Amino acid sequence: MCLWLLIVVFVMNSNWLKNKTFHFSEFRDLNNLVKEKEKKNLTISLCLPTLNEEKTIAKEIIIMKSELMMRYPLLDEIVVIDSGSKDKTVDIASSYGADVYNADDILPELEKHKGKGENLWKALYVTKGDILVYIDADIKNIHHRFVYALLGPLILNDEIKYSKAFYDRPIASKRNIMRATGGGRVTELVIRPLFSLFFPELTQIIQPLSGEYAGYRELLDKIPFPIGYGVETSMILDIYEKWGLDVIAQVDLEKRVHRNQDTKALGRMSFVILKTFFYRLEKLGLFESKQEMFNEMIQYNLVKNNYETAIYSFEGFERPPMIEIQQYREKFNLC
Amino acid sequence: MGNYLKKLPSFVDEIRSIRETIISNIVLIGQIPAPTFREQDRAKIFLERLADFQVDECTTDAYQNPIGIIRGTNSSRPPIFVVAHLDTFFGKDVDHNYIITEKSIIGAGILENSVSVGVLASLPEIFRKLNLSFESDIVLAGVVQSIGKGNLCGIRHLLKSWPSSIRGGICIEGCELGRLNYYSDGMIRCNLDCNISSNTRWEHHFRPNAILVINEVVNQILKMRLPQKPRSRVIFGKISGGIKHGLIAHDGKLGFEIQSTSDAMVKAMMNEISDIISDVSHEYGVNLKLKAISNLSASRLKYNHPLVKNTVAVMETLGINPVSEHSVSELSIFLSRNIPAVTLAITKGKNYHLENSRMLIEPMFKGIAQVIGVLMAIDSGVCDE
Repeated sequence: MCLWLLIVVFVMNSNWLKNKTFHFSEFRDLNNLVKEKEKKNLTISLCLPTLNEEKTIAKEIIIMKSELMMRYPLLDEIVVIDSGSKDKTVDIASSYGADVYNADDILPELEKHKGKGENLWKALYVTKGDILVYIDADIKNIHHRFVYALLGPLILNDEIKYSKAFYDRPIASKRNIMRATGGGRVTELVIRPLFSLFFPELTQIIQPLSGEYAGYRELLDKIPFPIGYGVETSMILDIYEKWGLDVIAQVDLEKRVHRNQDTKALGRMSFVILKTFFYRLEKLGLFESKQEMFNEMIQYNLVKNNYETAIYSFEGFERPPMIEIQQYREKFNLC
Repeated sequence: MGNYLKKLPSFVDEIRSIRETIISNIVLIGQIPAPTFREQDRAKIFLERLADFQVDECTTDAYQNPIGIIRGTNSSRPPIFVVAHLDTFFGKDVDHNYIITEKSIIGAGILENSVSVGVLASLPEIFRKLNLSFESDIVLAGVVQSIGKGNLCGIRHLLKSWPSSIRGGICIEGCELGRLNYYSDGMIRCNLDCNISSNTRWEHHFRPNAILVINEVVNQILKMRLPQKPRSRVIFGKISGGIKHGLIAHDGKLGFEIQSTSDAMVKAMMNEISDIISDVSHEYGVNLKLKAISNLSASRLKYNHPLVKNTVAVMETLGINPVSEHSVSELSIFLSRNIPAVTLAITKGKNYHLENSRMLIEPMFKGIAQVIGVLMAIDSGVCDE
């Protein structure tokens, strides 16, 4: 009996990987995507969350605007949500025609928080698209495939409501040195072991932490958003729990070059992701903690032969589903 | 002449209105590394972009030069060529990801010559935007193997094998806006290798030093009497050698060019330098190997050639101050085949040959308008006289 169940699970998993994994080249026909978009009367918003991204933001806006707005009208708006950059990110983004918002100025009556998840959540309020595409703003080798390939499954397949990128992800670690890593380090050391322990089906998602994904508003406004790094993990778990794996697709975007992060920064990222993950496990009744988890990540730095403590606090705050926010309901006539 | 000149100033704003498309082409093509002899990846993207912009014919010639042809309205007119070399000085291991700021684009090879290739790929869209059509076919060619040892082989092959006559040519380079080349000097580009045999006994007290040997060659060349007319010179452009500070150099390399307005003088200087090298080689008892890696014949249009006169008018109409000097580029190959041609630059910038090369975005729109003005001049017949 047990063996039979295992076989059933295996078959189901294989089907998802086979049927819901795409390559960007399958969606190269942009005329077809535009035609289908117009036939379905869809609007699409691109959101770029930023914090000090002056070196890469212009390139992302220019290429998307040229290729997916001016030449092929796939996108209806490009929106930058900034967390208070100290460099020229905001000026540069504005000069190339993006709609730029300071995250704190959106829904100002709510308590203010800083973080990528906060920006993505607030993008739901300021954008108008039926579909939102979220792209990290630090991609050095940006290409319009990063957007159209995520939109392809959503526009051409009625069943799919959320698409996620994966890639062969070289890291620019030192000048002239690139090394292929397959999945990201946090993915392989943290997320994949956790998925294997609790949600084996989700291990088929090659890069659950990739910063590029797109989804229908009707899904995204019904899930909570952790304000920080945990947003990608929570998004997958919440969509999986509410609608199942079949509404999710993943797309191979091939090479992505991004800024490298040191091990300590990845440690802090892992801390946030672990907290988000265990919080969701508790909510689902899959895990019970005998004591409350701490909110501080403790790291040590060797300074002049002394170990100095570096403490990173993380409250684990989450924004509720946007659809529960009154102002949002009013703006989108959902009352 | 006046008809197209009047339109030019308004072109600048029209071209600026599609800046995102032009910059996208520059970035998407320029970020593909293309060291000389390894331009295929960039050539493929260049062709893809041309095809994406619905250029009538997109192909490569037998030498792998990527070419797009925009069909003209009068099939009896010979084609007009617009060319930019695809290759750059930078190897595939150099980071080619560009940074765009409000006013500039920064990165390896942006001025030499990615901006020109990006503009070349954008011309079909710019023509559409300006509602322009031409009597002649417009051949957009990204030529391979231009720089250094490439010896302009791509353009040589392209022009040599082209089946019909050619009406005129425009070569585009990155900077400096205002550049107007219409003549090229005769030139021989040489490498000198000095190798001290490893068989020399280690206890030898007067072992030759490759750096000093090359220094002696340089000194002897500097003693040569060069005429002011025909204007002639030797440029020492590259030098390398040795392993570390405290070790006598076993090897050294010198790269130089002999340039003159007279091909006979270039040949005479080459002979004299060969003699110097033989003499030094014999005196020091070392192996000195001189190799000519590239050469060009002197060729020119006259300043009062209609193409030059009209190009100056186009530039002045756009407020660009023309600056002329000789050019060692694709231009030489056009002129040596009696095809009227000029070389123009697209924009302004700095750190021309460095990895952090920077081009200014705003001057580029005038630079493109200038290219279109000269194209219109050639299409109106200024090269046909």
